Formats: sequence, structure tokens, C-alpha cells
Amino acid sequence: MHPTSVMMASSLIIIFTLLVYPLITTLTPAPREPKWALAQVKVAVKLAFFVSLLPLFLFLNEGLEMVITNWSWMNTHTFDINISFKFDFYSIIFTPVALYVTWSILEFASWYMHTDPHMDRFFKYLLIFLVAMITLVTANNVFQLFIGWEGVGIMSFLLIGWWYSRTDANTAALQAVLYNRVGDIGLIFALAWLATNLNSWELQQMIAATKGVDLTFPLIGLILAAAGKSAQFGLHPWLPAAMEGPTPVSALLHSSTMVVAGIFLLVRMSPLMENNPAALTICLCLGALTTLFTATCALTQNDIKKIVAFSTSSQLGLMMVTIGLNQPQLAFLHICTHAFFKAMLFLCSGSIIHSLNDEQDIRKMGGMHHLAPFTSSCLTVGSLALTGTPFLTGFYSKDAIIEALNTSHLNAWALVLTLLATSFTAIYSFRIIFFVPMGYPRFNVLAPINENNPAVISPLKRLAWGSLVSGLLITSNISPLKTPVMSMPPLLKLTALAVTITGLLTAMELASLTSKQLKTAPTLAPHSFSNMLGYFPSIMHRLPPKLTLTLGQAIATQVVDQNWLEKAGPKSITSSMLPLVTTTSNVQQGLIKTYLMLFVLTLALTLLVTIY
Amino acid sequence: MRTSHSVRQRPSVNMAGVGFRRWAQALCRGNGSGISALVSGCRAASGVSKGSLPGPYPTTPEEKAAAAKKYNMTVEDYEPYPNKGEGYGDYPNLPERSQHERDPWYQWDHPDLRRNWGEPIHWDFDMYIRNRVDTSPSPVSWSSMCKQLFGFIGFMLFMFYLGEKFPSYQPVAAKQYPYNDLYLEKGGDPEKEPEEVKHYEI
Repeated sequence: MHPTSVMMASSLIIIFTLLVYPLITTLTPAPREPKWALAQVKVAVKLAFFVSLLPLFLFLNEGLEMVITNWSWMNTHTFDINISFKFDFYSIIFTPVALYVTWSILEFASWYMHTDPHMDRFFKYLLIFLVAMITLVTANNVFQLFIGWEGVGIMSFLLIGWWYSRTDANTAALQAVLYNRVGDIGLIFALAWLATNLNSWELQQMIAATKGVDLTFPLIGLILAAAGKSAQFGLHPWLPAAMEGPTPVSALLHSSTMVVAGIFLLVRMSPLMENNPAALTICLCLGALTTLFTATCALTQNDIKKIVAFSTSSQLGLMMVTIGLNQPQLAFLHICTHAFFKAMLFLCSGSIIHSLNDEQDIRKMGGMHHLAPFTSSCLTVGSLALTGTPFLTGFYSKDAIIEALNTSHLNAWALVLTLLATSFTAIYSFRIIFFVPMGYPRFNVLAPINENNPAVISPLKRLAWGSLVSGLLITSNISPLKTPVMSMPPLLKLTALAVTITGLLTAMELASLTSKQLKTAPTLAPHSFSNMLGYFPSIMHRLPPKLTLTLGQAIATQVVDQNWLEKAGPKSITSSMLPLVTTTSNVQQGLIKTYLMLFVLTLALTLLVTIY
Repeated sequence: MRTSHSVRQRPSVNMAGVGFRRWAQALCRGNGSGISALVSGCRAASGVSKGSLPGPYPTTPEEKAAAAKKYNMTVEDYEPYPNKGEGYGDYPNLPERSQHERDPWYQWDHPDLRRNWGEPIHWDFDMYIRNRVDTSPSPVSWSSMCKQLFGFIGFMLFMFYLGEKFPSYQPVAAKQYPYNDLYLEKGGDPEKEPEEVKHYEI
């Protein structure tokens, strides 16, 4: 066998072994050593990251991609289900990114969760999640992807409800599971359609078999799945609610890795979507609506984690828009760059929250630049990268997306919404910066705030480096799969920058107005619309559940018995027999002699007929 | 103590004491001896007795009072469901309020359910727990919320429809070839005069 393919295959096996080994050691009842979480789990992920660089460099140097089919799981004459892994452009680049981000988050979590008596279990859950995510990303068939899909969904439930005595956390975890389940309906439908019509679940076979086939139905199913997992409009409330979980969970699952699984699914299935304008338009419009709606909601939130959560949702909408533009590679690029700065934003928020004794309201923060300079600098760098500041990491993906948007043939309203959402991004990012690091402290400084712990600073440093250079690194080393439009009018080229600067200036102007505050509380209707998340949870989490649950209760306790006894059972027999019986009784007037005569006559007639 | 103000608490009954009393009475009255008496007596102490199960719709004031006592409510508070043959019997018709509306800081017997022991249970209690339907008042009225949300969605759908009708794209023109649209290269007759092709006018 060729040495490079041996190296790649063995490094991939080593990555899986490294990640699964700490999990297997927990299956015995023996207690863990005190430093198990740091010594075993974090080190395993760190090593796995460095090992994953080898396939990455092999790919960048030689263009080596592999499909490994390990095991024929269930094979019939007509249908094969195998365990097969696909290490192509997408999974080879995503795996090191995910491992790098996870390594930083695990190190941060060792500080954030160090007072938690079940910290080891927390790390184990995060590791199981990581294994499920990598299974999803490296899957060569849709069934294996579904296994990873469900795995990340379950771990999301367990981790959001980490503080399980808290009813709000339970409700949030339940929301996540239910909304993801709705998406899973779409995925399972798509799986069934693909199995019955294309006769395979392996990606290569499916893509080869789609010539001339109308794929609208499975694509709608896949879009529904992505809408559920990636919190698109209509299935989005679970993502801000998921902030009930600890900050490392929000940083890993609900910004960098799990929520991008839906987009990743569409990226994997992009060859199926290319020739279907209906599916592309649905993606475009849904993504545009999501990005604007969630950016609007982010404008008036007061919880720092909620702002970042809505920011994530808005960026996911942007990724969906990119898929709708038929640019899956750009969407994937945005997934990778977004992971760095979003995880860093969450870690900065977590550090600030912990330093302020679990205060999450930005109205009670302020002056953090004097108290935690490195953290607030990282917050600023992350926000700048998020808004697409030229030559930071977000610029390479976001600006490319906006350029593609401007030069494509697309729905004009989707274009307007996306540009508006880009300016809103600048507004709420500036809002965070204005309220948290800038100004003076609006809290009682009761606990000493310091940045002495390397477990906090090193992850932030690593992710800051990622937020600064990863965009440049990735785009310099890969060649685009689709030819980008190179020539456009200068206004179009500068649209992203112009729109962002407009948003920033608007936000600065509004912020300066707070010193001349005229009202004690906001009273405008649009503010209420934005603050209460568009009234979507207030309506959708009250009316439909109430109707369906009362219907269920009524069916279970009353309707079934009522029907079986009164409408279909004994009483119905009574009510249907009653008219017959009364009619018959009324007809028969008790004329015994007449009946007897008739009987005798009929008998005589019958005898006559039979004898003769 | 702040509960929903339409339900006033009766002094709570010690169910364990009731059970023991019933068991002792059954033991005295029972005609078995030894172990069988003990065992048959235990049956009386376990489970719900017939008197505490929901019964038929109360018609007389005495029945109403008995039903109110059964459900641990005062006679003024007790109100059965209307007798429309739906099978509610004498179960109390409690106000449609979810557990979210109860005081989060009061020391409930069951803090997660925000309920005290012996309180009458709402017919849809499982719907009104803190993980499910919330009936607490919203800052904005229900009709206003619905109008704003569905108005927003309707407006967006309409604008997307318009955006499909009038899409955004960069202006492009048809490809222009030289030499009279490549007349000779496309196999045109060299003898014949090709027709003039004008791509643009200045």
C-alpha cells in the first residue's frame, strides 16, 4: 500500500482510539483518579488534535482523500449498510478545527466546573459528544451520519439539563429534544426516500444515481432536518433556551459544532441540491429570514449569553443563505471560521460571568477592560472577527459570502434581509462591547477579579490566535471548488464593509444617547417585539401544546369511553334499536285471532304447495 | 402563604393515621383469626378507599358539602364541572392557572411542583407543570402578540414572493463574437456577403 494512505488511515484510527479510550476506562466501577478529567480527557483531545494535523497536511500537500469501508454491517441482496468513513476536504478540515476548539474548551471547563462534584461526568459527556460529532462528520453513508446526528442530540439534552434540579434547564433541554425531533422527521423521511428510490445510503452511490431524478421531496426533508438542528426560523427557540446549560456546553455544542451539523448535512448533500432550484430557493429564503429575525432579537437582549446565542443563530442563517446560493464550500468555510471566534466569545462571557459571581446581565457589568483586560480584549477581537473586520478570520468567509450574494441571481428580498442582518451584527456586537468592557463597573466589586489562572487564559489565547489567522490560513491553502466572481463594481465589493460600518456608527450613536436617558424603561412596540423574541415562544409554546395536550387528555379519559359505551357500544345499540322496536310495537296491535288465522292459512297453503 | 386565592386549605388529614384506624377497625370486625386477620386487615389500610374516589355529579347541597370535604376544599370554593355527560362527575373545576403563576419563593411541600400536600389537583395538572404550558400573564396582550408575529411572517412571505418576481442580479449581455458573428468559422459561404451584425450603438 502507498505510504501516504497508510499514514492517513493509521492516524485516523489513532484519533478514534485516543478519543474512545478515556470513555472505555469509565466503564469499570473503579473510581477515577482525581485529575482524570484534565490528565486523561483533555490530553486525549489535545493529542488527537495534533494527530489530526497529519491527515490535514497530507490532504493539503497531495490532495489525498480517502473512503474507508470498515465493516459490512447489514447487507442484503439489494441494499448494503456498512460502517464507512469518508475523509475528504470537508471532514479533514473540520476535524482538526473541532478538536482544537474542544481542547481549548475542555481546558476552560476544568476551571469553570472545578467546584462541580460531577466534573468527571461532565467531561465524559463532552467527550461522548465529540465522538458523536466526528462520527457525523466523517460518515460516508447517511445511516452512520444519522447515528452521529442522534448522538449529538442526546448529548445536547444531557448537557443542557446538566443542573437537572433546575426546572428551567429541564424545560430548555426538553425544548432542544423536541425541536430536534421535528427536524429528525425530515431526516428520516429523506433517508427512507433515498433508500427506496436510489437504493443506497452510501454517498457515492447516491450522488451517482441521481441523474434525471426529481429530488424535491428528500431535499425538503433534509432542509427540515437542517432547520431543526441548525435552529432556522420556526424551529429556532431551542437555541437561546439552550443557554441554560453551563458555558462550556454553550461554547462547544451550541456555537461551534452541534448546531452546524444541519448545515454540514446540506453541505454533504450539496451535489443533490445543485440542480434543484426550488430547494435552493427554500434554503435561501429560510436562511435570510432566520438571519434577520434572530439578529433583531439579539438587539435588545440583556443576558450576555443570549446575545451570543442569537448571534450564533444569525450566523447559521447566513450559512443557510450560502447553501441557497449554491456555494457549499463557502458555507463550510464559514462553519470553520465561525467556530473559532464564537467559541472564544462564549469563553470570554463565561470568564466574565464567573468573575462577577454568576452575573449574566450586561446592564450590571461594565468596566471589565480595567478588571480583566485580556478577557475583554479577546471579547473585542472576537466581536471584530464576527462582524467581518477586514483580514481577521471572519472576513474571509463572511465577505466572500456577501460578494457571492451580491453577484448572484437571487431573491431580492433575501439580499436585503441578509445585508440588514449584517449591519445588525455590528450593532449588537457593539452593544456587548459598550456594556461589558467599556464604561465603569455597575456592580459591587465584592470578589477579587483576576486573570491569573492559566486554565482560563491559555484557551482564550489559542482561540484568539485562531480568530486572527485561521481565515487566512485556510483560504491560502485550499482552492475554491466553484469559480468565484472576481470582477464587480467597487460598491458591491465594499457592501459588507459599508453595511457593517453603518451599523457600527448607528450603534455608537445610540450608545451615546444612553447618557441622556429620558425613559426609565423601554416602551416602544418594536423593542417589545425584539425583546420577547418576536413573541414566537410566547405564542408557540402556549397555544399548540395546550390544544394538543387537552385533546390528548380528553381522548384518553373521556372520548374513548364515551365512544365505546355511548356511540359505538351498548347505548348505541339501544338508540338504534329503539326506533325499530317502537315501530314494530306500534304496528302490532295485539290482534291474536287475526294472527292465528293468518298462521293457519299460511300453514295450509304451504302444505298444499308441498304436497302438490 | 400565597397560593391561588380561590383555593383555601382545609386542615390536612394524616393519611397514615386514617389508614391505621381503618386497619384496626377491619381487624376488630373481621371474622378471620391470626395471620389471615392481619392480612385481610392490611388490605383495608392500603390504597384508596371507596369514599375518597371521585363520584357522581352532586345534586343536593349535602352531596356538594361531602364532595368538597372529600377534595379538601371549602364549600364556597368547590364548584363541579357542568353536568353535560362528559364524565367529570363531582371533580372540582379549578381555575385554569399553571404552576408558573405560583410564588417561586414560598416554601412549598413539593418545591418542583409548587404544590402543598393535600391540595386539590387540577384536572389538567400534568399540562400545567413547570415544564409545559405557561398561563402567566404576558407583558403584551395575546391578540397584540398574535397580530405582530403573524403580521411579520405574512409580510415576510409576501416580500419573498415579490423578491422572486423581481430578482436581483448583475446585468449581463449575450456573448459577442467578432468577424460578423464568426460567419466564416461557422461554415458560411465565402463568396456571399455576410449580413452586418451590430452588437451595440454608441
